Amino acid sequence: MIMMWFCLCPLFQVLVIGDLGVGKTSIIKRYVHQTYSTNYRATIGVDFALKVLNWDSETVRLQLWDIAGQERFGNMTRVYYREAMGAFIVFDVTRPTTFEAITKWKEDLDSKLMLTNRESIATVLLANKCDQGREVLTNNGVKMDQFCKDNGFVGWFKTSAKENTNISEAANFLVKHIMATENDFLKSVVPDTISPKLNDSQPGTCSACYKS
Amino acid sequence: MAKIENGRKSADSRSIRTISSSHMDDESSLGSDSEINGFTNDRHTDKYGFIGGAQQYSEESAQDVPPEVLRQREVKWLDMLSNWDKWMVKRHKKVRLRCQKGIPPSLRGRAWLYLSGGKVKREQNQGKFEELDSQAGDPKELDGIEKDLHRQFPFHEMFVSRGGHGQQDLFRVLKAYTLYRPEEGYCQAQAPIAAVLLMHMPAEDAFWGLVQICEKYLPGYYSAGLEAIQLDGEILNALTRRVSPLVYRHLEKHKMEPILYMTEWFMCAFSRTLPWASVLRVWDMFLCDGVKIIFRVGLVLLKCMLGTREKLKACQGQYETMELLRTIEPRYMQEGFLVREVLEVPVSERDIEREHHVQLKRWRKNRGELHCKSPPRMHGARAIMASEPPSRQDLRQNPTIIVESPLPPPHPTAQLMKGEKKSKKKGSMKKAPSVMEIPNPYPLAGDPHLPLREPQLPLREPQLPLREPQLPLREPQLPLREPQLPLREPQLPLRDPMPTLRDSTVQQPLVNDTPLPNTPEDSPPPHQPPLNDQPPLNDQPPLNDQSLLTVSPLQESTQSLSSIEADQDTYL
Repeated sequence: MIMMWFCLCPLFQVLVIGDLGVGKTSIIKRYVHQTYSTNYRATIGVDFALKVLNWDSETVRLQLWDIAGQERFGNMTRVYYREAMGAFIVFDVTRPTTFEAITKWKEDLDSKLMLTNRESIATVLLANKCDQGREVLTNNGVKMDQFCKDNGFVGWFKTSAKENTNISEAANFLVKHIMATENDFLKSVVPDTISPKLNDSQPGTCSACYKS
Repeated sequence: MAKIENGRKSADSRSIRTISSSHMDDESSLGSDSEINGFTNDRHTDKYGFIGGAQQYSEESAQDVPPEVLRQREVKWLDMLSNWDKWMVKRHKKVRLRCQKGIPPSLRGRAWLYLSGGKVKREQNQGKFEELDSQAGDPKELDGIEKDLHRQFPFHEMFVSRGGHGQQDLFRVLKAYTLYRPEEGYCQAQAPIAAVLLMHMPAEDAFWGLVQICEKYLPGYYSAGLEAIQLDGEILNALTRRVSPLVYRHLEKHKMEPILYMTEWFMCAFSRTLPWASVLRVWDMFLCDGVKIIFRVGLVLLKCMLGTREKLKACQGQYETMELLRTIEPRYMQEGFLVREVLEVPVSERDIEREHHVQLKRWRKNRGELHCKSPPRMHGARAIMASEPPSRQDLRQNPTIIVESPLPPPHPTAQLMKGEKKSKKKGSMKKAPSVMEIPNPYPLAGDPHLPLREPQLPLREPQLPLREPQLPLREPQLPLREPQLPLREPQLPLRDPMPTLRDSTVQQPLVNDTPLPNTPEDSPPPHQPPLNDQPPLNDQPPLNDQSLLTVSPLQESTQSLSSIEADQDTYL
């Protein structure tokens, strides 16, 4: 069922980044449309999807930004990152190079985007394609935890878009952190109605959103 | 011959073939779900080769050109192609007009190759593609390319099979480009461009087409820094300000930077945005007139989606705006509507150059020098031709399909003689009109649609009575002739090396110069009377050698898109 209503709910922009072919688009499709297909198109530039969540009896909208993985599209990320509140950085457990690229993506993110309180945005690491049974990289959970700590991730999840493993869990985890940082943020900064950062989450400005 | 006939047959029963082959290769490739807009579970293959409506095919999205008109256009295009240099120099406006009306599907691939200058490039670099094709390539680039092979038009029958011919050719073309321009490397947005070309031509031609698009039409778009596309975003923004101030203010208000919505549009030349019929029409015009067509399409879509106060009222917010621009209403993308609108947009190449200058200056001030120095942009086929003047030899038409021996035609002797005569004349293409009676082998083997060729084949008078009952059958015939053939044509030589030798310089007797079924061999002989036995033909008589002198624009104005003619050149 599709409903339209004047939405008073907060809207969070969430980035999904990572190397080419790690499954960013598939994760989003799985999360938003509950589907998985091997026939999907490579993302050129940026793509979007909206997920509406019920969160503590409140409705939260997540705007997922699916960003092209090829390195050269990194030249456009400044614009894509602009108003993000949280991010997933995705790698493919079967390809070590995509893991090595994580720090590069994280640095890119941190260098271009910072909350007003000088903190970086909440970022969750996703070890995707864990259904492939080759997740050598993530076998050592302690090591991964340490990696996340060292590199400023709020946490990590083994995910599989194909088998729908851990994707909504990871999203809920990220939302929780976004909410927390947002609260800090609201405490630390006097809300400014002109601020673009807050505009989208201000009630009454959006005409409609979709809920399935 | 028999093999070609088989190929033809499989074209006719294409949906069955498609499904079975795709299942063969990848059970899951036709999963019940899809992310593609408008995809339904209906696994029907549309006339462009897309499965299940994957490229938004609908009866409304595409115009059916009556077969008689199509035949006429084919004759005209064949004449243009065989006298390409003359047409481009002396009658360029006519070429443009015909591109605006839509290139006949059967000749689209060839026309695109000529328009883009890919044909000349190929001739001037003979053996180059083969050489590149035989090299290994940079493993890093290959890795990137391989990741993308199954992600280009995954619901097109040519690309649906993992490791199938379409994907193999795509790999070859993209790899060859990274070897041809190692400093540029592979850009993901090149893949859809190459795939569109491959739907219309063999790999080598598609490669040169890609080279031309990357270097002449859209220079710098795919280079490492992606600066050119960002610059064009600024240009689009400035043009929007001029053309639709309301839209511009809305985009400004919601901080919609152009690269948020135009990256895919421009980098893929709308091939992933529009219904397929419209993609083809846009490309016809784009390859003729260059990037201004891309700008105009962008401006039309922006204006249609955001151009009124009511629309803006219902679209408050950045996300809402982006969503709107991602899901454009089909009526605005319908081919006839879109082409008409595009021709109306008052943006010329001079406007674009002027704005380019302004934005480049701004860019330098704000962001310093460009890192990638791209060659200057060429605004269309004529500019490209002027920059790389071809020799007559370069423009010579090479057959893409050579048929060893046509089946006995209804008038075998006459046709065989004509065939021999024609192949001997190969060297002087200027005399092309005399070879039009060459039997096209495709319709001869009991093809019920044969009579459709008649208008251009006056020697077949005895068969004329057959034509009448055929005419009402137009609809079922269209899908056979139109989209299927160009789609399949490039594949024929690859799938079926036996009956077809591509671009062989050694011409065999009975060579068929026309790669496509159901198309007339060439323009009719001089002095052919108008086809007065064809009531629906209100078009001009087929072009002949004198056509350059005798065809008046008025004669052509009876064609279906005549309304365009009146106003189109104003802005072009």
